[in-house]
Amino acid sequence: MGAEEKLFLVGDNPFHGISHLSQERSRVRGDAPTNPEYAAKLILISLENGANGFMFSVSETTLSILNVIDRNGMVESLSLYAIVPYAYEYVRLAGKVGGVPGLAKRIVKEVAFSGNLNAIAGGLKGVIEADLGSLVKTYLAYEISRIRSSAGKRARLESIMLHQLITDMCLGFDMDWFFDLYVNHILKIGFKPGFNTGNFAFLVKKFREWNINLEETVIAAPFNKIGFQMNPSREECEKALADMPKPNVLAISILAAGYLKPKEAIDYIANLPNIKGVAVGVSKESHAYETFKLIREKLNSS
Amino acid sequence: MSWLCLIVKNLKVAVVGMGKMGMLHASILNTIPGVELVALCDKNFLIRRFLRKVFKEIAIVNSVKKLSKIDLDAVYVTTPVSSHYSVAKAIYSENIASNLFVEKTLASNFGEAKELCELARDSGGVNMVGYMRRFAVTFQKAKNLLDKKAVGEPVLFKAYAFSSDFYGVEGNLDGQPSNVGVVRDLGCHAIDLALWFFGDLEIEEAKIKSIVSNGVEDSAYAEVMATNGLRGEFDISWCIDKHRIPEVGVTIECSEGTINVNDDKLELNLKSGRYYRWFRHDLRDTVAFWLGGPEFFREDDYFVKSVIGNHVAEPSFYTSAKVDRIIDEIRAKAD
Repeated sequence: MGAEEKLFLVGDNPFHGISHLSQERSRVRGDAPTNPEYAAKLILISLENGANGFMFSVSETTLSILNVIDRNGMVESLSLYAIVPYAYEYVRLAGKVGGVPGLAKRIVKEVAFSGNLNAIAGGLKGVIEADLGSLVKTYLAYEISRIRSSAGKRARLESIMLHQLITDMCLGFDMDWFFDLYVNHILKIGFKPGFNTGNFAFLVKKFREWNINLEETVIAAPFNKIGFQMNPSREECEKALADMPKPNVLAISILAAGYLKPKEAIDYIANLPNIKGVAVGVSKESHAYETFKLIREKLNSS
Repeated sequence: MSWLCLIVKNLKVAVVGMGKMGMLHASILNTIPGVELVALCDKNFLIRRFLRKVFKEIAIVNSVKKLSKIDLDAVYVTTPVSSHYSVAKAIYSENIASNLFVEKTLASNFGEAKELCELARDSGGVNMVGYMRRFAVTFQKAKNLLDKKAVGEPVLFKAYAFSSDFYGVEGNLDGQPSNVGVVRDLGCHAIDLALWFFGDLEIEEAKIKSIVSNGVEDSAYAEVMATNGLRGEFDISWCIDKHRIPEVGVTIECSEGTINVNDDKLELNLKSGRYYRWFRHDLRDTVAFWLGGPEFFREDDYFVKSVIGNHVAEPSFYTSAKVDRIIDEIRAKAD
């Protein structure tokens, strides 16, 4: 890892009841991590023990957690990396409300009731002119306003990251103009454009083809010793990582969803180049005490 | 079209129905070398308007019949289940393409499914239904163990398909459950896996419950028997707590032990006392392009290769029609 200040982010998967090892594991964990008060406590313990940020999908759960942290007066100690949209929730909702058209109506209603006049005007333009760019900007304004109103004015929102499902779908469709628009818009409004992807090597190759400046972005992608979710292969991802122009990659799934022991997982990450930081979920107080202490100790010295 | 022609030119593909599954398949197909996405079809005006803005080099049409003007090698049907029959029938009868992929379930009932099987046979093309769990590494490993009789002969199985999509929403429904019901929407995966693992099945007893909304199947239970005397059960519901993502699994009691397999892992408990467990992590679960899960890429890649190689793709229409037949049997026995 390079000499730049590193990011040690608390990930939010346990707070949404997600385990990528097995659903059974998340059921065994119980409801405690999904309780905003308890989740906020886990983040604050992590913060005391080496974490310096929070990477989260924007949902009612994570917004409630941020609200608790703000009320504790600790929100400014966290670098916030927000992932939008919370795609899996929207996919679930689409199944309930009549597919994509029903979902679109629901989102329009939410934006309209948010009272954000700029967002409403931009959204109207987007719908009338079938202008996806306007709709994306509207949606981002809406999500940022939700974060601001929950996390408070002191919150240090650093990056708006595009959710993996959307990033990868747009990659598949070769939507170079969309990535260009997203990067430029996010930079213009003062944040770091981010992309969460399950196709790291493919994304880097495409961004180079499309002349999207990799140095201006931050990319979150799985990196772990056993190559779990590293597509198309661990070797290809490591090669793409080595070719990055600067350390701007956030390693996620470093524990391979709990399959790996923290020490062996972190040892692997410590030897990778161009890693800006890591995001790791914690579901118990003991994890929060131990995990980030170990991460800071190993990765700061690498 | 001969397979030799397909080797030298791109496979021209259209997708009908641009909801979430249509978007997913279209995006994956666009990454597969040798595939050219040439047309998208959706009846929703607003969706077409956005598609035209986004995909300037792809034909965007509002009806299946308009695809007949386009040179196509294969069509994906990803519309709601209720229209699979009419869309697929139109594709065959208008000679739009002879190679067809239909999302699960093949049709709304066995009668429609049988008709589509006949049309598919007459067309001479490759046909397949999107039972993507056959492409999950855990279920593939279980199938391999069963075929090799690594745990002896199967004696009894219990298959389940659970989700929390409508858990705890009685009287406070935020939306509308799919009117095809939970058996066709989610349970079809468990039924397809059981057919794949054990061969043909017959329903002996069945119960269906409406929990969330009157007239919509929210949970179902069925007892089955296979042609070889193997007995089994299906337990299906979208009102189960703590299943944020739909989960499908099968427990198989065999003469020499038990196989326990679901979307995440496979466990093998042998009567000799030995125990084995594989997570996805252990089973080389990476793909060339990941979207929505590795199963979808494997499924699409396999279909494309089957079309190019002109060989049978499984689950074919004929194989998948059995799922429609079993769903009809569950409904009939539950009445």
